[in-house]
Amino acid sequence: MCCVCSGSRGTGAMTSRGSPSRFLTSVLHNGVGRYVRQLQRLQLLFSPTAADARGARQFVEEVAVDFARKHPDVVLYVRPCSNPTPVLVAEYLNGTVREELITSKTSEEILQLATKLAGQSGLDIIRIRKPFHTDNPSIQGQWHPLTNKPSILTVRGPRLQAQ
Amino acid sequence: MVVLSGARWLRCRLTDRFWRVQEVLKYARHFRGRKNRCYKLAVRSVRRAFVKSTKARREKKRFLRALWITRIGAASLEHGLKYPSFISNLLKSQVELNRKVIADLAIYEPKTFKSLAALAQRRRQEGFLAALGDGKEPEGIFSRIVHRQY
Repeated sequence: MCCVCSGSRGTGAMTSRGSPSRFLTSVLHNGVGRYVRQLQRLQLLFSPTAADARGARQFVEEVAVDFARKHPDVVLYVRPCSNPTPVLVAEYLNGTVREELITSKTSEEILQLATKLAGQSGLDIIRIRKPFHTDNPSIQGQWHPLTNKPSILTVRGPRLQAQ
Repeated sequence: MVVLSGARWLRCRLTDRFWRVQEVLKYARHFRGRKNRCYKLAVRSVRRAFVKSTKARREKKRFLRALWITRIGAASLEHGLKYPSFISNLLKSQVELNRKVIADLAIYEPKTFKSLAALAQRRRQEGFLAALGDGKEPEGIFSRIVHRQY
């Protein structure tokens, strides 16, 4: 058999046991009471002279301040430094660090990306087994083999034996 | 100076063979035998696993529906009805719940399922009366069709 196509297998394959999966959760029941934004800080690392960081520089000049005002609980660090590729690093409250390359992206695209990262929780982006989750799936009591049987089978005790 | 073709005596060594191999082997780690360790065997198994997982998505829908039907049949037998009559009488009473929801109700809300079974049973009786009773009994309540108000 010829080789599996290597290189750009970024999203990962969806075998059930071959790739990791998780259940739908929210971090510490976020949203039940108060909603806490899970994005802690965004670091924008770009070089002040490289050509592919032009979108990043435009983002910083035009849009970054508005973004920071709209998301007051996110700390935005802007770092011009001489790294080879411009990168947007998002750190979440549960410790997940996510790096996104922003080479040759326009400032609108970077804004869209930043808004998307701001809305995410830091949970892993892997296959979610079910699109729903409840802590209390049963209100009337989950079925067990004696649910629909006559209650004489479940009653025990000295009163019964006396009869 | 523009160079149209690179010097042909240049050689370059492949330096990331390890990671290229790991990309494939990571999907084979839970396999049995040497195909979870040896790249040549793993490549074939991983490709077959991917193909099977793609094709199985169509089968999964059929499998889950069959599972729901089995569960609904077992639950309705507890209440004295068989699956075909349960489903057909529910549909005739304009209860348009799908099998997934009815199966979940049977597991997690047994009293609701009991009332659904009772509804289907009553509609069944009304159907028999309408077919065999020759018009002497009044029309059944659950046999009335409710038309949409909009």
